[in-house]
Amino acid sequence: MDKVIQIEVLRYRPEQDEEPFFQAYAVPFTDDMSVLQGLQYIKDELDSTLSYRWSCRMAICGSCGMMINGKPELSCHTFLRDFYPHKLRVEPLNHFPIERDLVVRPDDFIRKLESIKPYIIARDVRRLDQGEYLQTPAERDRYEQYSSCINCMLCYAACPQYGLNSEFMGPGVLALLHRYNMDSRDSGQAERKELVNAEEGVWNCTAVGYCSEVCPKGVDPANAVNVNKINSAKDFFFNLLRLAGGGK
Amino acid sequence: MDIVEADVVIVGAGGGGLRAAIAVAERDPALTVALVSKVYPMRSHTVAAEGGSAGVVQSHDSLDHHFNDTVTGGDWLCEQDVVDYFVAHCTEEMVQLEHWGCPWSRKEDGHINVRAFGGMKIERTWFAADKTGFHMLHTLFQTSIKYPSIKRFDEYFCCDLIIEDGRCQGVLAIQISTGKFVLIKAKAVIIATGGAGRVFRQSTNGGIVTGDGMALAYRHGVPLRDMEFVQYHPTAMPGTGLLFTEACRGEGGILVNKDGYRYLQDYGLGPPDPWPRKKAMELGPRDRLSQAFWHEDRKGRTVNTPQGSAVLLDLRHLGEKHIRERLPLICELAERFMGIDPVHEPIPVRPAFHYTMGGILVNGKTEAPLRGLYAVGECSSVGIHGANRLGSNSLAELCVFGKVAGDEAARYARTVRFCDASTIEKLAEAAKQRALDLVTRDDGTERISVLRKEMALSMERGCGIYRIGSEMQETCDKIDELKLRFARVKVDDKSSVWNTDWLQAIEVGFQLDVAQAMAYSALNRKESRGAHQRLDGFEQRDDVNFLKHTLAHYSGMDAPRIRYGDVKITRSQPAVRAYGAAGEAAAQQAREAAHG
Amino acid sequence: MKDMQPDARRPYVRPMEGWWRKNPFFVRYMARELTALVVAAYAFVLLIGLLCLAQGEAAYNGWLAVLRHPVSLSLHAVGLVAMAYHTWTWFEIMPKTMPPIVVHGKRVAGHVVTAVGVAAAIGVTLVLFLAVWGIKP
Repeated sequence: MDKVIQIEVLRYRPEQDEEPFFQAYAVPFTDDMSVLQGLQYIKDELDSTLSYRWSCRMAICGSCGMMINGKPELSCHTFLRDFYPHKLRVEPLNHFPIERDLVVRPDDFIRKLESIKPYIIARDVRRLDQGEYLQTPAERDRYEQYSSCINCMLCYAACPQYGLNSEFMGPGVLALLHRYNMDSRDSGQAERKELVNAEEGVWNCTAVGYCSEVCPKGVDPANAVNVNKINSAKDFFFNLLRLAGGGK
Repeated sequence: MDIVEADVVIVGAGGGGLRAAIAVAERDPALTVALVSKVYPMRSHTVAAEGGSAGVVQSHDSLDHHFNDTVTGGDWLCEQDVVDYFVAHCTEEMVQLEHWGCPWSRKEDGHINVRAFGGMKIERTWFAADKTGFHMLHTLFQTSIKYPSIKRFDEYFCCDLIIEDGRCQGVLAIQISTGKFVLIKAKAVIIATGGAGRVFRQSTNGGIVTGDGMALAYRHGVPLRDMEFVQYHPTAMPGTGLLFTEACRGEGGILVNKDGYRYLQDYGLGPPDPWPRKKAMELGPRDRLSQAFWHEDRKGRTVNTPQGSAVLLDLRHLGEKHIRERLPLICELAERFMGIDPVHEPIPVRPAFHYTMGGILVNGKTEAPLRGLYAVGECSSVGIHGANRLGSNSLAELCVFGKVAGDEAARYARTVRFCDASTIEKLAEAAKQRALDLVTRDDGTERISVLRKEMALSMERGCGIYRIGSEMQETCDKIDELKLRFARVKVDDKSSVWNTDWLQAIEVGFQLDVAQAMAYSALNRKESRGAHQRLDGFEQRDDVNFLKHTLAHYSGMDAPRIRYGDVKITRSQPAVRAYGAAGEAAAQQAREAAHG
Repeated sequence: MKDMQPDARRPYVRPMEGWWRKNPFFVRYMARELTALVVAAYAFVLLIGLLCLAQGEAAYNGWLAVLRHPVSLSLHAVGLVAMAYHTWTWFEIMPKTMPPIVVHGKRVAGHVVTAVGVAAAIGVTLVLFLAVWGIKP
């Protein structure tokens, strides 16, 4: 006999519903089932109108982020056994507009990601026949952690500053920016500076730290953002000195 | 409906699609590229690839070695001229990715590190920890942002190709968030939609791998080649089918049965020591390893887990430091999903469906027989994998042939003009009606999930690791029946915004067509070769009758027409496919013969 | 192109009010921010004390008398707890604000930085306390 868990899902069908509402489902489950598999059971057996994003099932594609009992999680590696016998509340990621059911509109995040020049801006350009840039394991280690971001947006759902002000560049994108700045092959720091130094850059962050807490990949975006406050401040003072020196 | 124009339309924004888009943008920045994908690019299944991507770098390695490993691995069903092109361009594509920022793992001196991989004589697999596909995909996606000529259509579901005047003139896509249709006129169309793993029950594949592009090309008269050859990856998680990379074995991991015995030595892959050793034991090719599991299971020597029988992947002897540094994702998967720490405990694994060797017939320039249509990646059959793919060849394939597809499509686009909209608008309207019929009809009786599960179960049974004629016939019959039942499929969700019920129905339609091609292709190949192994009197390879490609032609509701095509053999004549000690002996003999 | 014609989308934006009450992590964050006010308040109290000292012994003794009032003592007790929490959360977030520290080729983990910081804080507090205790007449 399978155990049965109650899952309450926040539904919203813009063509039918004035506003979102909770719908409860009884889902039989085994100990190895994830919340995602629970949702799949609902869609396959109980209610095929439930919409949600998913793909890889192994926490690498970043599709299945949602609020599970109020916490931003990837549904594919959160397990039903950890909530039983209590019920489970599943809602779309916080701080993004709800398009439909558990699907949010991520346009703002995508736009921000595209805006930071997230690619190598090389100082010494190499031809292909010259082979690879040399990069020691230590140099690689300086940025690898920040390159592990799967763009799942859990950190945006976690960040109250982003929730209060969506102009904020946000943790994930700033971590990606930092990844490129820290890559020994890149020399685009100057081109990305303005975005970092802006009010909506690192200075909207008040070091809540919840973003790093929820990140499923250990990227530590809080660190990426706050370390750049030092860089931004240094930049500010150097500019001040330069101007003062130039004025003499 | 909305009508948009782009010189080159690319369907699918995974590794192959992105590489093709960048190739067009670099070759000819004045051409517009529409990159159409049903998911955001970083969700494409390339992201889940783990182990690595091949490219000859070591001084004692050679293109010839890579060529021979690939052709032998493919059991001589490869297009050898295409393999030559492929191995000659892998390294430069890997260097290109490196220049674009891909965080390849390095040696102490800063040069690229390479590791051993299944079926490869010499280490040539570039890797980025154990998340190579992830890093390659993100590098390609982020680099693609540099090019203003690439216009992305994120979360647009391609539901049909528009063919007019013997030429592919564009695609019809559904904007998932609104349910609205858009006709994207094109001068050239590149399909890069990936494989069809979800046709099977247990697979390493993500939910989006439903053979969309394969089905679309197939329905419009392009044959699907070698569809019976599907790869079972030997080390997947029981139950979910999630992948434990071949790199576990490349780094020295071993496979043991319930008695702690390295059973692969009983299947022509031994002797077990010294270990690790290339092309032997756990570094043999994937089809042999999956087949060995099947036999061990029949003999009752596998371990029982709640999710099915398994063997044990033992990494403990590699040491904590090595495991955590080289295989961090594996540790995460084992710990999170199974509660197992690979540093202290072996991991239960079993084969699961992983890769579709066959696909849309294309030549070495990625051109399909239909003018203006190209295909790249797992959805295509360009001829490098033959009857069995070697690990780390498919990530390299995305880049090598992604570039070829982009270059060729760009070249072709310069030679033709857009078709007049009114001609193809009618075709687009008809295609739109066909797609809408699924959701607007109110007399549907068949449930999508039921059709899908019956298909997956039947394919697992009939087209498994070992095949028997009568079971394959049952599967063919079942798929035929499911196709008839699909005509009465029921879509409960009638809304326009994010109607995934409707899209899943369209996907099941695609999957059934692809499954039918696979099942009939398998039934008709009366021999055993590579990943297609039979137990019903056709256990041997038959080079006289079946050194040929299978070509499946779409026949609507009828069974596909199966024809055969020649294999391009240049300098590697079919020989005994031997690994382990037998392989070394055969290689030694060949060397002596060459010197004799 | 997406917005050329009207479509059926009606994205729903959820309100932020009461956000910090819904998650224990945020409650702790708001408490941390609040303790900054307590630190500021105490600095103000000390400033008054300094000014009184400058005005002579009578003014200073008056200030000390106010400080000894039971209400003042209670507030100080609360303030002490708040300062302790402030100190703890300060070091808790400190690793996030620093670039990685590498010792002998290995990264120093965040909780080690926090532990060292807290230990240093306790140590300095003890030393100061004993020093002040020692000069009591």
